[in-house]
Amino acid sequence: MASSSSLVLSSPSLTPVIKDGEYKNWAELPSELTSSILQRLSLVEILENAQKVCTSWRRVCKDPSMWRKIVMHNLGNLWYDREIMCRHVVDRSQGGLIEIEIWYFCTDSLLNYIADSSSSLRSLTLALCSQITNNGLTEALMKLPLLEELDVSFSTLSGDSLRVVGQSCPNLKTFKLNCLGDIRTANEGDDDALAIAETMPGLHNLQLFGNKLTDAGLNAIIDHCLNLEHLDLRQCFNVNIVGDLEKPCSERVKVLRRPNDSTHDYPYEEVLVFNTMRASEDGFMPNVSYYHDFEGASDNSDYDPYDVYDDPYDMYGDLRF
Amino acid sequence: MSESNKKISLISSEGEAFEVSEAVAREFEIVAHMLEDGCSGSSIPITTVDSNILGKVIEYCTKHVEVGNVEGNSEKAEKDLEEFDKRFIAVEMNTLFSLILAANYLNVKGLLNIGCQKVADTIKDMKPEEVRSIFNIENDYTPAEEEVVRKENEWAFQP
Repeated sequence: MASSSSLVLSSPSLTPVIKDGEYKNWAELPSELTSSILQRLSLVEILENAQKVCTSWRRVCKDPSMWRKIVMHNLGNLWYDREIMCRHVVDRSQGGLIEIEIWYFCTDSLLNYIADSSSSLRSLTLALCSQITNNGLTEALMKLPLLEELDVSFSTLSGDSLRVVGQSCPNLKTFKLNCLGDIRTANEGDDDALAIAETMPGLHNLQLFGNKLTDAGLNAIIDHCLNLEHLDLRQCFNVNIVGDLEKPCSERVKVLRRPNDSTHDYPYEEVLVFNTMRASEDGFMPNVSYYHDFEGASDNSDYDPYDVYDDPYDMYGDLRF
Repeated sequence: MSESNKKISLISSEGEAFEVSEAVAREFEIVAHMLEDGCSGSSIPITTVDSNILGKVIEYCTKHVEVGNVEGNSEKAEKDLEEFDKRFIAVEMNTLFSLILAANYLNVKGLLNIGCQKVADTIKDMKPEEVRSIFNIENDYTPAEEEVVRKENEWAFQP
């Protein structure tokens, strides 16, 4: 063995040599590595399969560190009571929950259960949760002063309730209030934009897909949210970023998505597709090019349109179509 | 000799020397930290990793250093690297186990990541019995403990 060095990495007498091809029992993998593996599984896979493999995996799956981030989307099996499941994993996090993402099924009571037990929550996504009321949401947000990211897309939040959101979450850096761009009528309205401008000055990232705001509302946002780096105004057909607006928008905002930009990476793409289907049933055929940039559509090659039916009941809920 | 041409010998548990560039050795964060702490040895015994596994870890790091050094054409390079990773990690379960342990011990984060992901991808959609058989894990639950887990799963209604 070469001996020009005095460096020795660990002592063989203390650590067994890592050899190739030996008979390996995976239950003996150090628990932090098992944890790193199992965290990559979905919530259902962890609860229904992984934790039942052996008691050491069960211990890993019960550890609060497994549950800092909870994603409840595309759970697959409609025979699960998702609310009980969600409360169960929130309990497992023992107050350490940092990030939670719930699609479709969250209610006021579940949301407030989460808020009561997760005061360190930094990121909350409530996508297409039509059962949540404005009061339920604002009550919960008052218990989450550390929140930095909030996505309440397709909620009915606007105007005064939005102001309460802004006032309750002084650390908010990312806010997403997306809906479907209403291309049938030209409704205009700056309530949302003005509430955001007044109460969320610390935003770095704002996504207002399909909002009714006009140039006046956009101007207010640009004037008040001085840290804005990402601004997504796709499908906001009442704004016209030209003239006096063009300069501050393109100079200050690092990533600006304009009203007619491609929607191919829109996180709620499945709702757009669903709406396109629905609109064609109504005898109204939207200009499909609004919804897809077909050159970019290869990014969605594995997109499954039937994901739309994750919950057939909620899909007919109170969306802002 | 310039910094980037400097060679370092990594010595396996069997005493076999693997001569690599300093850049490759630095991919082992544990080695990088030693070098930063002022250790200047030209050979570093890695007494807890055998030649087969050490050779594989070096192969992984060498490829990643090579690709990292190529300027331009980054999209193609990234794709090639992804392909390399995919082929590299398609190994027997026993070897994967050792690679994960070694990547963790030597602190090669990229390798640890693809190793853990490979295991997770394998487990996905498997019933507990299948996982036990593929990963050589004994079911050490007592019937009473199994009942506790079953009762806890009250969210699962049967149709």
